[in-house]
Amino acid sequence: MKDLLFEYDMHLDFEPPVEEHRFTLKCIPQTDERQLINRLDVEVYPKEFLSTDKDSFGNYSIYGYTKGKHDRFFARVRGQARTGLAEYLPAKEEHQIGLFKYQTDYTRPGPAILEFAKQFEGAAEKYEEACRAAVVSKEITPDNTEPARALMTPALEFAVTMMHTLYENFSYVKGVTDVHTTAEEAMALGKGVCQDYAHILLSLCRIHRIPCRYVVGMLIGEGLSHAWVEVCDGSHWYAIDPTNNLIVDDQHIKISSGRDYHDCIVSQGVFVGRTKQTQTVAVRVKEVMAQ
Amino acid sequence: MQSMQEMDLYRHTDTVNELLARYGVKFGIYKNNVFKEQLFPFDAIPRVIEAEEFAYLEKGLKQRVTALNLFIKDIYSEKKIIRDKIVPEEFIYASSGYLAQCEGVMPPKGVYAHIAGIDLVQGKDKEWYILEDNLRVPSGASYPMIARELCRRSSPLTFQQTHIEDNRNYAELLRRTMDHVNTGGHTVILTPGRYNSAYFEHSYLAEKTGAHLVTGSELLVENDHLYFKDYSGRKEPVGAVYRRISDEYLDPMNFYEGSLIGIPHLYDIFRKGNVALLNAPGNGVADDKGIYYFVPKMIKYYLGEEPILHNAPTYLPLYKEDMDYVLEHFDDLVLKDVAEAGGYGVQFGNKMTKQEKEDFIALLKREPRRFIAQEVIDFLDIDIFENGECVPRKADLRAFVLMADEPLVWKSGLTRFSRNPDSFIVNSSQGGGFKDTWVLSR
Repeated sequence: MKDLLFEYDMHLDFEPPVEEHRFTLKCIPQTDERQLINRLDVEVYPKEFLSTDKDSFGNYSIYGYTKGKHDRFFARVRGQARTGLAEYLPAKEEHQIGLFKYQTDYTRPGPAILEFAKQFEGAAEKYEEACRAAVVSKEITPDNTEPARALMTPALEFAVTMMHTLYENFSYVKGVTDVHTTAEEAMALGKGVCQDYAHILLSLCRIHRIPCRYVVGMLIGEGLSHAWVEVCDGSHWYAIDPTNNLIVDDQHIKISSGRDYHDCIVSQGVFVGRTKQTQTVAVRVKEVMAQ
Repeated sequence: MQSMQEMDLYRHTDTVNELLARYGVKFGIYKNNVFKEQLFPFDAIPRVIEAEEFAYLEKGLKQRVTALNLFIKDIYSEKKIIRDKIVPEEFIYASSGYLAQCEGVMPPKGVYAHIAGIDLVQGKDKEWYILEDNLRVPSGASYPMIARELCRRSSPLTFQQTHIEDNRNYAELLRRTMDHVNTGGHTVILTPGRYNSAYFEHSYLAEKTGAHLVTGSELLVENDHLYFKDYSGRKEPVGAVYRRISDEYLDPMNFYEGSLIGIPHLYDIFRKGNVALLNAPGNGVADDKGIYYFVPKMIKYYLGEEPILHNAPTYLPLYKEDMDYVLEHFDDLVLKDVAEAGGYGVQFGNKMTKQEKEDFIALLKREPRRFIAQEVIDFLDIDIFENGECVPRKADLRAFVLMADEPLVWKSGLTRFSRNPDSFIVNSSQGGGFKDTWVLSR
């Protein structure tokens, strides 16, 4: 468990200025079973109207508009979080688990991923056998209140196995991929950033129909926003970070999750004006030391 | 019907077609990136349906559309039908019509498919079969409406002496449907503009229902509500949008980001219940050709009733026994690509060359989820009037079912026919023509 101070700053510069700007932002962490947000301060400027909502995946979104001309737009989020409160998140929206088993445009495997996935055939068999065993044991003990719990170990274990191998075979290199790069393209390239690690791991898990989702958040230290993966065993979501080859504990603050990058876009906008747009993101997370 | 009256009506075929052309009853088609407008040829010989027979269709159509609405609602909320293993989950999540953005969103009054276009054919055995359900933005109601209007003018005697249900009430049914879900404010019909293939219909329905015809640039979201901006810049609240643009283009903030014809944040306020969208986004999950197979099962599941209207016998190659059947009876079947619409992606087993057949079977084995196979139904031919004589042609019927405070079936429909004597494909985008559909009132 840690107490973390976080700062998320995003600004957009427009040259020349734009008007009639409409935006949607998903950059605000929420309290859940794993993290407690105990202080939160959000500032968006300039704005004429601001509204809040939750999207279909339960992510907190704020949206609104700025009509007048402006050459800069910023969102500033400050707060404090207590992290590492639990090992997993309960899968409350049980009916929504299934949709995370299927590939999306970002994760659909091609030759490179399918070739890479071949080495997991043995592990996959073991996983499938364990799933079958769990189903059988569920049938024998109908009064078992938490049957899917038995599935946890195999799904997480299998995902972690694939994560380790991916980490060994993929290099962290900035600037070779961008937000449009798919898992298959990144795999063929052999290098990329956290978004690519996450998409490839999602693709690998979904080949075996393991429900898994893309997570956007912040990591202790200074830099950009971070991305990792959650896998589900039927009743719990476990977070793993393929870029750092670890099971998420208390150094990560979650912001949003969805099927892939596209469901979690932090900042989206449309505006009137032929302009050059530059986005700058700065994230700072540091531990609060006990007084 | 007396043959003298028939002749009086047919005599006016050319006049009616000229008038249709003058009113701009056209169909736009993009072919090789070029926009071309085609006339939609009208044939004056109506399809006639007896009162009793239509009553049976009406009952079956209401049942089907009620079940389809319950299905869409279930898919975007609890998904009981998946949990109870009636529909395999991959048919939902791997379908291009399923939109995750619609998860957990409840449209005003819980209606998803307000306007459904259900395509049927009548077999030589006189049995009606459902060919497909169109629940996104089905078009076509305006054509028999205006054709009836013009025929009444050119041959009033025919309509005095035959007891036909008046089909000009479609506008009232549509208005009632839109008013039922309106959240407070004006009702508008949202068109992508005059280069859309159904622009005539958009403007005609707007005129007949008294709704404003608007494009995306005339609508805007402010303070979590939708407004219509008129020429003077005055803003009027909008409570219902009969949108004739597809889901992807509706709102660049929630669907396709590159859409220039959509309204930013429209879906956000829809999610909050502040405007009605007809039809609701996400309906495509229920009119997928793969899901079609499961509609009779849905009727039993949600309504506990036996389906009144039947599907054409359909096979899903995804299931092994169906695949075996398809390979064995390949020449007797029609194969449809589930992702295509408008008569594209439809192939007849017996019309393929040996090489085509081999290639197709290889593709089918690689991507079994992509296709359905159906028995070729021997349609009952309908006469059309061509070069002074009656010749038989294949025809289907698009019935319109509206979901207002109760399901309403329009007592008419769009009968489309193939002008090519050897073709079973009647879609207007493939050059077919249309007829009026008369439902006899007694």
